[in-house]
Amino acid sequence: MKASTLLNFVRHALFVSLLIGLWEWGARTGFIDQSFVGSPLGIATFTVNNVSDLRLWGDLGWTMFSVLVSFSIGASAAIATGLAFVTWPKLESFCEPYVNALNVLPRIALVPLFILWFGLGVGSKIAMGVSLTFFIVLSSTIAGMRGVSQDHVTLTRTLGASSRQMFFWVTLPGAVPVLFSGLRLGIVYAFLGVVGAEVIASERGLGQQLSYLASTFAIDGVWSLLIDLALVGVLIMKSMNWLERRLLHWQ
Amino acid sequence: MIDIQKLHLSFDGLSDVLSAIDFKLDAGEFVAVAGPSGCGKTTLLNLCAGLVELPMGQHLQVAGALPQLGSDSVAYMLARDSLFPWQSALDNAAFGLKVRGMAVGEARDRAAEMLKRVGLGGFEHALPKALSHGMRQRVALARTFAMPAPLLLMDEPFGALDAQTKLQLQDLLLQLCQESQRSVLFVTHDLSEAVALADRVVIMSSRPGRIIADVVVPMARPRSIRELQTNSEFHHTYTQVWRHLEEGWTHHEG
Repeated sequence: MKASTLLNFVRHALFVSLLIGLWEWGARTGFIDQSFVGSPLGIATFTVNNVSDLRLWGDLGWTMFSVLVSFSIGASAAIATGLAFVTWPKLESFCEPYVNALNVLPRIALVPLFILWFGLGVGSKIAMGVSLTFFIVLSSTIAGMRGVSQDHVTLTRTLGASSRQMFFWVTLPGAVPVLFSGLRLGIVYAFLGVVGAEVIASERGLGQQLSYLASTFAIDGVWSLLIDLALVGVLIMKSMNWLERRLLHWQ
Repeated sequence: MIDIQKLHLSFDGLSDVLSAIDFKLDAGEFVAVAGPSGCGKTTLLNLCAGLVELPMGQHLQVAGALPQLGSDSVAYMLARDSLFPWQSALDNAAFGLKVRGMAVGEARDRAAEMLKRVGLGGFEHALPKALSHGMRQRVALARTFAMPAPLLLMDEPFGALDAQTKLQLQDLLLQLCQESQRSVLFVTHDLSEAVALADRVVIMSSRPGRIIADVVVPMARPRSIRELQTNSEFHHTYTQVWRHLEEGWTHHEG
């Protein structure tokens, strides 16, 4: 570890310890109301107990399953739609007002409908995740494919490339950098959509657990789950970074 | 190799881009087309490549047929290297052959041979980001010459290079052409480049583009760029071409 990295680490460790210490001290002296804000020790105790509880892992699996399924469906549908829009600009200009209207709609408002249609299980969560992922990946797909180097297109045309060759050898790899930034955002939004829908109404999932704990004033539990969610988010970003390094090593 | 008769081209139906073009390029000939920017020289090249659609009733033949995208007789090269940044030098050099349907292994073998000939042996696996401008344009030359096309269409291929690199690549192009007997249509705005490389320099006027002069370059081949610097025929032809180009301007302004 380099000296500057170590120093940075020490700085953050000190800052966080100070914050936690103040919080714990405040909670013990009654300066902070524990029943609303919880306490660090309480959060730690809850977390230790919770980690050995199978229920947490079940909820985590439930949430992650919904995130991955909704991301896969949303992203592939968006890439296919983007490709269709770029291939047939008339289709795009026809669909544009509808796409825009749906895109500006606060999608979380669709949850009640999704619950009616798809039930309290994973169906409604996946629908929510898809509805958020789709539009973000769609706009980046279109931007990526439109931004493909015209020189590459011209050269490939003079070689008499088929539209298949043009797509797989030129357009798709050329669109990947921009497309990937859309996918990165897309999976974060899938996570947001799924957890949001779980908080509103669900049979299971981290969001449902969080909502239940909050409604029973188990504030330490709420904090503990928020930490879990943040960790899952970090894990998602790390895997996207890894994937990006693999796919875009040429940049 | 190229046969154009009384060609007119207009994009909007009102003003001509190209006007009354009569032009022939024989097999094995290297013809440079020079002229002010916007004179339609690139359009002429793109017509031959099939990138610009030939209007009905116009006579333009490339290797005895109407120009067509993907024709086996033609290889095209642009000013910018237009290498794919996600492919190695080798795969970039093999790209033309792969699109034309050659098996990947065979295409790579040929491309590797071409990379050696353009002086990039050992750089087969380098990505474009690791190569200099000059090296990237060498890869583009390898990609062009790897294809067995008898006619090369080049659109200012050295236009984006610094002066010194340009001279090196011009020399390389002379060598490659002398080795492989191709016909070349070479668009440039650099008159000394045109005179140094070509058998004939065709000069076009500004819009609407017409051919105002067709100058035969007398220097014998093989040529070397360095020796041309002290060659009196080179300077004489250069002055002649320059004068024609100036006439084109005054005509236009008058």
